[in-house]
Amino acid sequence: MVKTRKAPAKAKGGKAAVKVRSKPSAASKSTKPPAKKKAAPASAGSTKAVRLTFSYDGPAVKLVSQDRVEMTVPPTDPLKGFGKQKGFWAELRNKQDKTLYRQVIHNPTRNDAEVFPDPDESPEQSIAREAAPKRKGVFVVLVPDTDEGDSVTMCRSPLDKTGPGRGIRAFASKPAIKFRRFKLMK
Amino acid sequence: MGTSDGKVKGSTKIVDAGPNTQRWNVAIVSEGYRESEMGQFAADAQQFANTLLAAAPFDRLRAAINIHRVDVTSTDSGAKDPKCGTSGGTGAKPKTYFDASFCTQGIRRLLVGNSGRVMNVVKKLVPQVHIALLEVNSPIHGGSGGSVATFSKAPGAVEIALHELGHTAFSLADEYEYSRDCRQGGHEKHSQSEPSQPNITTNKNRATTKWARLIKATTAVPTTVNANCKVCDPQPTPVPAGTVGLFEGADYFHCRVYRPEFDCRMRNIGMPFCAVCQQAIVKKLTPFLPT
Ligand SMILES: [Zn+2]
Repeated sequence: MVKTRKAPAKAKGGKAAVKVRSKPSAASKSTKPPAKKKAAPASAGSTKAVRLTFSYDGPAVKLVSQDRVEMTVPPTDPLKGFGKQKGFWAELRNKQDKTLYRQVIHNPTRNDAEVFPDPDESPEQSIAREAAPKRKGVFVVLVPDTDEGDSVTMCRSPLDKTGPGRGIRAFASKPAIKFRRFKLMK
Repeated sequence: MGTSDGKVKGSTKIVDAGPNTQRWNVAIVSEGYRESEMGQFAADAQQFANTLLAAAPFDRLRAAINIHRVDVTSTDSGAKDPKCGTSGGTGAKPKTYFDASFCTQGIRRLLVGNSGRVMNVVKKLVPQVHIALLEVNSPIHGGSGGSVATFSKAPGAVEIALHELGHTAFSLADEYEYSRDCRQGGHEKHSQSEPSQPNITTNKNRATTKWARLIKATTAVPTTVNANCKVCDPQPTPVPAGTVGLFEGADYFHCRVYRPEFDCRMRNIGMPFCAVCQQAIVKKLTPFLPT
C-alpha cells in the first residue's frame, strides 16, 4: 500500500533556500541546565532534530537554514580519540565546548570529482577522480535537538601546501581543525 | 530554465516500513521526465527501491527503511548534453526542472543537477528525509555524488547511486588507491594521520585497528603488502573473497593505508559492500529498526 502526498500549492525551487525557523519546541524554551550538570552524549534514536542546510562554493561554507524537525537522528560517530584524525565532520557542542554529537561527513568542499567511466570505455577501472575546481552545491547536517546543544562546529583537514596532495582537498593529509562555528537558534 | 520548466506533483511512499519520524527516509526524485513519462518514473523508482533493498546489508534492514518517490515533471526529456571537448556530447539542451547536465566542469560523465533545488523540494514533501537521490531520465552513462546522489538510466548507473550513498549517508571512504589511474605519480604513501571514516585505516596493529574484531586470528596482518609504492598493488587476492584483514592501498594512496577486504563497493562499483562497510551501515541504521 502506498501513501501519496500532494505538492504544496507552490513549491519554490530557487537557487538559495529560504531561511526557515520553525516554531521552537517546548523543550527548547526551557531554561538552560545548571552549569555544573554533566554533559550527556546526545542519544541515538532521538526524534527531535535540527537540520542545518549549508551551501558551499569552492571551500567557502555558508549556513542557509536551520529547521527543527521531528525525526530520528542517526547515532553519533565516536566522541573520543578523533583529535588527530583527518577528514571532515560536524560537532554539536554545548556552551562549555564539550562535544555532544559528531557526524563524519564525506567532504563536500572538494575541488575534484568522482567520475564513473562508461564500462565500455574503461572496463578495468570503474571509478576515477578528475579535477573540478568550481564545485558548488548544498549539504545537510542533522544533529539531535537537545536543551544542551548550543552550536555546531565544522572541522576539516587543511589543504596541503606541499607534497603530492598540494591544493587538492581529497588528499589533505593533516588532522582536521575547526573552520566554522554556527550558533543554534533556540 | 529551472522551476519554470516543470512542476512538482507530490510524493508517494513506495516502501512503507512505519512512521517517517521513526524510520530512515530515502527520497528518489525524478529529473527530465515529461508528464507523460511519470508512469515510467514510477517503474524506475520502484526498480531502484528493489535494487537498494536487495543489496546487503539493506536486505536485512528493510524494517528500518521508508522509500518515497518524489514526482517532478519537466518540459522535456533527458538532461543537457553539451559538446564536451573530445569526449562526445550531442549538444542537446532539454528544459528540465533541476537543470541536470552532463559534462559538468568539462567532464563528460559528470552528471549534476541543482542540489539546492532538489533539497528544497524534498524537504517540503518529505520533511523527515535523510537522503535524496536524483534519477535522470537519460540513457547516457553518468552520475555524481554530493548531498544528492545523481544517476542516469544507463545500464549499471544505479551502482553509482549505491556507491555515493555509501559516502553521503554512511561517511564511507573510497577504498581505491589511485586518483586518475594507477600510474599517476604523487600517490605513493598516505600520511600518518588516521582517517575519520570507518572503512580505512593507517593502523596495522591487529589488536587495535578499527575493525580488529572482524579479523580472524588465522588471517595474516597486513594481509597484502604493496611491493612497489609507485603503482597500485597488482597482486591478486591471496585469501578467499570475503576475508577481512588489512589490504594495503586505499584512500587514493598506494601504500601505508589499508582497506578491510580485497574488494568492496567503495572500491569498485558493482561489488557488494565489504563486511566493515556493512557493519558501519548497520550501526547507523539500527536506531531506525522497530523496537
Ligand atoms: Zn568496504
